[in-house]
Amino acid sequence: MEFVNPEGLRLDGRRPMEMRQLRAEIGAVAKADGSAVFEMGNTKVIAAVYGPREVQNRSQQINDQALVRCEYSMANFSTGDRRRKPKGDRRSTEISLVIRQTMEACILTHLMPRSQIDIYVQVLQADGGTRSACINAATLALADAGIPMRDLVTSCSAGYLNSTPLLDLNYVEDSAGGPDVTVGILPKLDKVTLLQMDAKLPIDIFENVMQLAAEGCKAIANYIREVLLENTKQLEYRRGL
Amino acid sequence: MGVPDASGDLSSEMEVDAFRRLFPLRYFERHLSESVRPDARPLGRARDTTLALGAVASAHGSALAKIGSTTMLAAIKMEVMTPSTESPDEGCIAIDFHMPPICSPIVRPGRPAEAAPVISKQLSDTISSSGMINLKELSLVSGKAAWIAYLDIYCLDADGALFDAALLSAVAAFSHLQIPIVSLNDDGKIVVILEEDDGTKLEKEPVNREKRKLTLSSIPFSLTCILHKNYILADPTAEEESIMETLVTVGLDSSSRLVSFYKPGGPVLAYTSAVQDCVALTRQRVKELQEILDEAISGMEID
Repeated sequence: MEFVNPEGLRLDGRRPMEMRQLRAEIGAVAKADGSAVFEMGNTKVIAAVYGPREVQNRSQQINDQALVRCEYSMANFSTGDRRRKPKGDRRSTEISLVIRQTMEACILTHLMPRSQIDIYVQVLQADGGTRSACINAATLALADAGIPMRDLVTSCSAGYLNSTPLLDLNYVEDSAGGPDVTVGILPKLDKVTLLQMDAKLPIDIFENVMQLAAEGCKAIANYIREVLLENTKQLEYRRGL
Repeated sequence: MGVPDASGDLSSEMEVDAFRRLFPLRYFERHLSESVRPDARPLGRARDTTLALGAVASAHGSALAKIGSTTMLAAIKMEVMTPSTESPDEGCIAIDFHMPPICSPIVRPGRPAEAAPVISKQLSDTISSSGMINLKELSLVSGKAAWIAYLDIYCLDADGALFDAALLSAVAAFSHLQIPIVSLNDDGKIVVILEEDDGTKLEKEPVNREKRKLTLSSIPFSLTCILHKNYILADPTAEEESIMETLVTVGLDSSSRLVSFYKPGGPVLAYTSAVQDCVALTRQRVKELQEILDEAISGMEID
């Protein structure tokens, strides 16, 4: 099947290095300490952060840092066919672990000992790149909750089909069987916190694809910064500053 | 301890917040004696309600309902199944209500919220007993194939009056639902025709010609009230629900007939006059909700 036609356009009309349309909104869940909705094309994800609050399970309390928990679940109607088991299946558990470890690396946990930070992510519409959308939404939600972090964490995926590196795969391109590289970076510090790949790739092509994904992450970071700045301006305006 | 005055400077503002946390019941009763609530609503008024149809593009019907901060997302997916032998020409509806941990600080992952299965059951009962949906409309080939509509409602923010918002979103999702086109393939199985095949000529005759909507009769709406001493508070927030525990949910349909009445115990015992007042408040609310639903539907049709 042809994923990049001879004119250089992909199935949804994008260029190989073009990302899908981004849209983010802060403060969607009034009850949460911090929350955000993040959309990458048709993939729509809502994240809520509760914390720092008292540890619910005393035996898990850590005396010199905060405990970070994460749960990823997909709504029954998020994918094409209705899912019977939205959480507790292996994929959801794996992604929960990945998101937790990615965010834990950048939260300054030593500032909040004996407390717990809960990150809950719910996928409302899945069209490829849910892992990345979840990490981006979690970053925004943590910023909205005012939890101290080393830097933003942004994530993006890239692949390699028809001998072309492609940025930000959607579901059809993802299930094509080609390699799928997901990268999560701290943009200001320029450090990689998450890197996952499946399928085979020669090393030099892998470096290209990874570089492409990192560029995508930086673009997302710029967008997230704009959104946060706009949000702060709104807050200042409402406070009359 | 003197009750602080709600004047403008910062020191009494902090005291008011502390008073609200330490003595919540007294804080509310001070407001109720002036016939108003902390968010400045009169006792019988519900919060601002908005409805958006088609929130989930990948589902066959969906709606997002917000009452104040309480947010519910409902989506319907249709699948084909074989009908039961007792009712060969009727389809089926499966309603599921989820409260994911994002909705409230009280819900823990791994342990589902207490309210979720209760509201799930209440919703199934209300929707089936109101007769809103004629199950015969969901039939495809009598005895062999019928639709099952999976309705999933997700609470995205739990701030009181969960049942009202859930029912509103369910009803709106059903009014937005478009049944997909299907055809019979070689194995005798029903296959859903995807929209992109419209350009090419269909090899099989479609079982139903075009996407159609369900006809909904007598749509149910509801209002939850709290009974506290002599007061009746309509549409409580989560804070009010946690302090004053006696809830009454009244469900009426669009012709003001009583569909359901739910008072699950609670410390306050209600006289018949209180019950009648609740029903009267609900009647008013049903008119408002009917207008909101009609506006949302006509907004979609213009598109």
